[in-house]
Amino acid sequence: MKQQIIMFQLNGEPLEIYADPAESLLAILREKLGLYGTKAGCGKGECGACTVLVDDQAQNSCLIPAGKVQGRRVETIENLSRGDVVHPIQEAFVEKGAVQCGFCSPGMIMSAYALLKSSPQPAPEDVKTAISGNLCRCSGYKQIEEAVLCAGDKMKNRES
Amino acid sequence: MIRSITAPDPKQAPASGCFPGIDYDQNPEVWAKAAGRAVYGTDLKMPGMLYGKILRSPCPHARIKKIDTAAAEAMPGVRAVLTGEGLGCKPFGIVVDDELPLAVDRVRYIGDEVACVAAVDLQTAERAVQSIRVEYEELPAVFSPAEALEENAPQLHRDFPGNVAWQRNISRGDSEAAFREADHVVENTFTVPAVHPTYLEPISCVAESDRCDGLVLHTALQSPDSVRAIVAKVLELPLSRVRVIGPVMGGGFGGRVYGNLKLYILSSLLAMKTGWPVKMQLTREEEFTVGRPMIAAELKMKMALRSDGTILAREAEIITDNGAYSAQAPWVSNTISERNDSVYRIPAVKTGVRLVYTNKVPTGQYRAYGNQAANFATESLIDMAAKKLGIDPLDLRLKNCIREGDVSVHGLQINRCALDECLKAAAKKIGWDRKKAGRGYGLSAAIHANGSLIFNKKFRGAAAQARLELDGRVTVFTGEQDYGQGAHAAFARIAAKALGLNPDLITVQSRDTMHSPYSLGALAMRQTTIGGKAVQLAAENLKEKIVQLAVSLSGEPATMENGVVRGSSGMVFDLAAIAYDYHSQTSGLSLLGEGKYVPEKSDYDDSGYGNISVTYSFAAHAAEVEIDRDTGALTVHRIVAAHDSGRIVNQVSARGQVYGGITQGLGMSCYEGYLFETGRVANASLADYKIPTALDIPEIEEIFIENEDPAGPYGAKGLGEIVMVPVLGAIANAVADAAGEWVTDLPITAEKIYQAMAGWECQ
Repeated sequence: MKQQIIMFQLNGEPLEIYADPAESLLAILREKLGLYGTKAGCGKGECGACTVLVDDQAQNSCLIPAGKVQGRRVETIENLSRGDVVHPIQEAFVEKGAVQCGFCSPGMIMSAYALLKSSPQPAPEDVKTAISGNLCRCSGYKQIEEAVLCAGDKMKNRES
Repeated sequence: MIRSITAPDPKQAPASGCFPGIDYDQNPEVWAKAAGRAVYGTDLKMPGMLYGKILRSPCPHARIKKIDTAAAEAMPGVRAVLTGEGLGCKPFGIVVDDELPLAVDRVRYIGDEVACVAAVDLQTAERAVQSIRVEYEELPAVFSPAEALEENAPQLHRDFPGNVAWQRNISRGDSEAAFREADHVVENTFTVPAVHPTYLEPISCVAESDRCDGLVLHTALQSPDSVRAIVAKVLELPLSRVRVIGPVMGGGFGGRVYGNLKLYILSSLLAMKTGWPVKMQLTREEEFTVGRPMIAAELKMKMALRSDGTILAREAEIITDNGAYSAQAPWVSNTISERNDSVYRIPAVKTGVRLVYTNKVPTGQYRAYGNQAANFATESLIDMAAKKLGIDPLDLRLKNCIREGDVSVHGLQINRCALDECLKAAAKKIGWDRKKAGRGYGLSAAIHANGSLIFNKKFRGAAAQARLELDGRVTVFTGEQDYGQGAHAAFARIAAKALGLNPDLITVQSRDTMHSPYSLGALAMRQTTIGGKAVQLAAENLKEKIVQLAVSLSGEPATMENGVVRGSSGMVFDLAAIAYDYHSQTSGLSLLGEGKYVPEKSDYDDSGYGNISVTYSFAAHAAEVEIDRDTGALTVHRIVAAHDSGRIVNQVSARGQVYGGITQGLGMSCYEGYLFETGRVANASLADYKIPTALDIPEIEEIFIENEDPAGPYGAKGLGEIVMVPVLGAIANAVADAAGEWVTDLPITAEKIYQAMAGWECQ
């Protein structure tokens, strides 16, 4: 398709890019913008490694044509930490042993982030459902679930 | 550097068992992974980098009549096109030499490498590959070992008549007499499909040539030194001119011990031809169609027992499906054929195993090396025997299980072993004596080696270095690889314990073959036991040198305790000052501790009898399942995993290994397996090849029986592979307990359970 200007908000900042609107958001993030934190595991929406937030919803960025984010808010893993300050979800993931090879971690953390935005104190079953589109081959998911629940507590404590 | 904001001060944090420091993997790399900043192989990009793509055979078996690359070569942006003709490479392999980088004359499976290109971008490389015209003359193909073993079957490799890639016959004791004298015989045939390790990051490689006066491969490998040696040999380069640098690895599970050799060799050839870095990456589909799954196996097995439950003998005929080329399949076949015999005291064994070529995807290995496939068969058979004899499956196992001080039927020396305790603990926790109505319960036991004494009989151990830095910190150099299983964190703890320092002060380096000691790598569960012991010895050696230096500096006796170097007069020496002093005295050298762990030679003989490892880990799992009697649908409710892996170095990482390994075992038990349609992989995507999701996971309870083993560092030994092994038998037996019949063909699907309950023939 012909390249065109696409405007959207990326990690809190307005952005204008010139790109093929049929190209995937994943390819734009990684290849055009150099944001390699979002991982490419299958390119078909089957593994969840490329999960980002679009208007606060967790989405497989490999399935979203770039043209579809026109005017919307996109958030990637890079937005969760600043320098040496990490998000409570990331902290919980490390402390609970939820990061092994780490390839699923950015997508998994973004799915957890979307869940905790809409449901700050989720039930264990909600956590399972929220991350069920994110495949992890290392962990057996148990420590990831512990981490998400722990992150909810950390975020609550930090607010109070 | 990222640091936890709320984590407790490591100095204050309670230590786990005998190891210092906090109880999770807190390497800077782990923080980087969580922050999305870790650089994996698939993320790599280099100035001037080209993209490589491979043209693959669409035919399962064919003669190549003609390859026309003119259109590809003329395409703007294409920098190199290679075909097998003219490469001049000799056949190579891991165990047997049966592969070429690109096919010459003949292709042997759908996916076989025929040509490759390097171009300025991936799209151009893909278009160029598609423009290559190949004329094939189709040949008759064989899609199963049974077809391949027929008398007039098409022959795949001239050097392997009868399509047998490898075979072995094992005979110990007098099994014929045992079967004659037995009160009972149980027998059955079990089948296991090919399964893929399914690491989440596809394999990639960036090869650089001529920029650094040699060939550099940027690819994440479990055994970089082994791959380096093969690549150097195939390309006829001096070994010192080949260097492997590992980016972060997105999972391995055995699949990245050798990874995808063709990809490394072809990207190297393209880099050498063009003079520019070349990146190649498998697509997820290619991972399934050319990515070396573990071999499928058929195990025909029988067991002889006395009425009191004593096992007298076991016989097996095993056929494994190699696919078109061999990779590690001979070794995996070997493990399948014999490892499980050492779980019990079995006086006589007779086994034949044949690895057979077929026109399908070549095979490799997966976590536990086939031990899990054999566990499914042998542990099912144990329960079949228990049922026939009217003996409780737990009692039958306890009566026969291998114990400390035993020498197994294959000569394995069992010096430390708490298998009986594992069995009792797993049974107790699952509620063996208070089973719930409507639920099925199953047990399974396992043994697994800790590194190999026979993989390379001369090279059995590991080496490490510990360097005192000028700031008083310590860097450990090892060739053992960390890919998220926590090896580096474990090494940091081991070195910290030896030196009396906080693990925070220790950095572990392993990812560059130019700087790391040579190593066999992360395979055969050797990291903690063998690699960790070398790290311990290196750190102890450094400690000795530090103390010696303090003595010579002060002229008085000195000691190093809890990381503090103190002279007899009470004078305290700063580590940085000691390092700096040595550095000045020697005009630039660093104080370096060296450790080599050289296990004793094995008595392993030509018949394959003898000790194969410095020590062994043990495990027993128990499963609780429920079956919907109307549909056969299976719910695995609980798995209890009792492990004797000696002293646990890191509780959080160890739990992660158990949960992850059990989940992979669950996948292999219930979901996973290659499906083929006339040689084509029919489920080559993550949508069709189902691995467990968060919604599929049972309750998992781990029990560590910390039976210290002097063979490993501070009594620790391996855990990462054995965790996957007993899951299969435990689930299979629990299903049989609930359904009344065994499903003997993996994966255990609802359909097969339903058929077993209905008494239908299982496919």
